[in-house]
Amino acid sequence: MDLTLKNVTKNFGGLRAVGDVSFTVPDRSIYGLIGPNGAGKTTVFNLVTGVYKHDEGSIHLGKTDLRPLKPAEIARAGIARTFQNIRLFGQLTVIENLLVACEIDKKASLLSSVLRTKVHYEDESSMRDRALELLGVFDLAHTAEEPSTSLSYGNQRRLEIARAMMLKPKVLLLDEPAAGMNYGEAEGLKKQIRWLRDTFDLTVVLVEHNMQVVMGVCEEIHVLDHGETIAHGTPDQIRNDPAVLAAYLGEEADGTATLASDADAKAPSAKGDEASAKEPGAKGDEASTKGDEASAKGDEASAKGDEASAKDAKGDERGGKAGEGSS
Amino acid sequence: MAGAQAGSTRPMGSGLLKQIALFGGGLLVALLLDFTLDKAISDSSIRQLLMMAACNILVALSLNVINGMAGQFSIGHAGFLGLGGYSAAVVSANLHEALGGGEATFGKSFIVVPVSLLVAALLSGIAGLFVGLPSLRLKGDYLAIVTLGFSEIFRLVIATAQIGDKETIAHAWSSAGSPRGFVHAISVMITSLGGQNGYAGPKDAGVPLYAGPFWVVGLAFVLGVVAWRLKFSGWGRALRALREDEIAAAAVGVDPTRYKVTSFVISAVGAGIAGGLMAMNRDGTPIVQPDSYNFQASFDAITMVILGGSGSVTGAAIGGVFVTFTVKAIELLQSTSAVQALKQRFESLDLNALRMIIYAAVLIALMIVRPEGLLGERELFQKKAPSPAKAK
Ligand SMILES: Nc1ncnc2c1ncn2[C@@H]1O[C@H](COP(=O)(O)OP(=O)(O)OP(=O)(O)O)[C@@H](O)[C@H]1O
Ligand SMILES: [Mg+2]
Repeated sequence: MDLTLKNVTKNFGGLRAVGDVSFTVPDRSIYGLIGPNGAGKTTVFNLVTGVYKHDEGSIHLGKTDLRPLKPAEIARAGIARTFQNIRLFGQLTVIENLLVACEIDKKASLLSSVLRTKVHYEDESSMRDRALELLGVFDLAHTAEEPSTSLSYGNQRRLEIARAMMLKPKVLLLDEPAAGMNYGEAEGLKKQIRWLRDTFDLTVVLVEHNMQVVMGVCEEIHVLDHGETIAHGTPDQIRNDPAVLAAYLGEEADGTATLASDADAKAPSAKGDEASAKEPGAKGDEASTKGDEASAKGDEASAKGDEASAKDAKGDERGGKAGEGSS
Repeated sequence: MAGAQAGSTRPMGSGLLKQIALFGGGLLVALLLDFTLDKAISDSSIRQLLMMAACNILVALSLNVINGMAGQFSIGHAGFLGLGGYSAAVVSANLHEALGGGEATFGKSFIVVPVSLLVAALLSGIAGLFVGLPSLRLKGDYLAIVTLGFSEIFRLVIATAQIGDKETIAHAWSSAGSPRGFVHAISVMITSLGGQNGYAGPKDAGVPLYAGPFWVVGLAFVLGVVAWRLKFSGWGRALRALREDEIAAAAVGVDPTRYKVTSFVISAVGAGIAGGLMAMNRDGTPIVQPDSYNFQASFDAITMVILGGSGSVTGAAIGGVFVTFTVKAIELLQSTSAVQALKQRFESLDLNALRMIIYAAVLIALMIVRPEGLLGERELFQKKAPSPAKAK
């Protein structure tokens, strides 16, 4: 089912976190949503999942308007997500974290759980089977009975994806799943994302700063900056889009380096022509206006720098396993 | 297939037989106690202590649903206990009259106790629903104030009723056509609860004490099993997840509204039953008084849960027993000659205050040594999960 955002706007007081953003995520695609820090990517996820309600515009899953639905109802409608700042159920074991996500398609009522009827046991055992299977996919089966907080950072991220998959979602929103992962783990993640899409026939929306992952796995990319759309296209188009380069350049040399280095590796000049051919004029203008704003963002960039190094530090305590998709 | 976690997955088949054995066995023991306890323990104060302990286990178990599992903070549990206590007292006393009065026999208890407790549970549950609703918007301290407000309002409405005027309830209702008459009728009903002096039945003959050990111990056992199963069910798991992270729980389809309100209602129902049993306890006093349901009672309940370990069913039970015995120990201490002599010298000496010192000391020590309480969230008889089988 397509996920469609039309002219979505969200203000936090005076701050326009998301402004007039429209895009359609085609069914069964792997869709990238990128942009510099504070661009509004996570806010878009929060709007889609109902954590916040948009001020203007509309969000539809297929034909269903998501505006009136509560977060739990949106989850039931088939949208699952992970969180940028990992949100696991700390006091629960690894497998319990997954089992919570089963509540929605459970047959046993509260009363039959208390009476411990046959339905209750059947429910529990089929849920556990499914949970263990998914844990196996993410190479976490051996940790099933451990407290979820005892997992390494990378494994916690994988556990979040596994938990989201328990919902049997139609759309999976991943918020920086590669954060804190090393090169090998990120490569594993790429394979896993593709494998999930192919196996479960779902749509994946990926927010990610790691260009290795974004460029490697996304079929289509939407770029935000300061809450607004600045570009849209295939990875090759985005890599060389002047507006995108300006947004990243103006803010964080780090991001640009990744973008550029990836782009360099793949015949930049030819692609550059393609990008400008597809989106003439308009992008050029935008790029120049962004240039002015870039200096204003200087302060923000340095503040984010600290965060970035904190993330790197976390990366060291990774689980050591790339955890590839298996069946 | 996975190894079983405590109480959640057990081998199927012969399930019904096992259940019958479990509950039948528990109730049989309770039944035996009912007939033998008087003879086995001649000291009625010890019997009273044991029955109080069983009731307090229910108090702790019910509060544990909100404060432990759901992670809300209610400091008004006494309100639900009181509502249950008064409802059960009124229903049982009137039912007793209707059945012809006389001795509170074991046979009649099978009519009086279930009906009284049902009403107590129902009214408490409804109150739980209304107190639970603000819990959707309020957290922490603010929610605590709401619960405290509820319990204090309940207590003070009864305690401050102007008694003396002997109008009957029936008479008051007969002229309740106008709004004023209606309000008057309500106030007459509240007045009939005896105000500060307490309620002792419609003819002040005392609340009939129908709940013998069979009912008290039997229900403590049955509801203990229920509490355990609630915790180790999908519902309990979802509730604990909600406590850990509301946004993440909602993101996997757990509706915070529904779970929070249900947890309040379930907790209130449990408290209503506990309060009702205390009011009708055979070894208790035949009167219910507003002062039994003051803040101190709520605080005792919180102490039980925190001592045993928030979220732990067996922990709550241990906490309930511990607090009961502390109360008793101090009572015993108070009657010793040494303390009596001291009391003669210092008139204002109140050993009940000592209880607070003991609690405080135990709680502080516990918070230093084991901040999560005696058991934390774990259980006493929880099977250690066998290492999970390899997923294919
Ligand atoms: N609840 C909120 N209240 C106020 N401002 C908010 C809130 N949530 C987000 N914002 C602001 O909205 C803007 C967009 O934030 P958002 O988290 O969506 O960015 P992002 O693209 O996910 O950035 P990052 O890459 O750093 O995660 C930021 O300026 C942020 O401070
Ligand atoms: Mg973000």
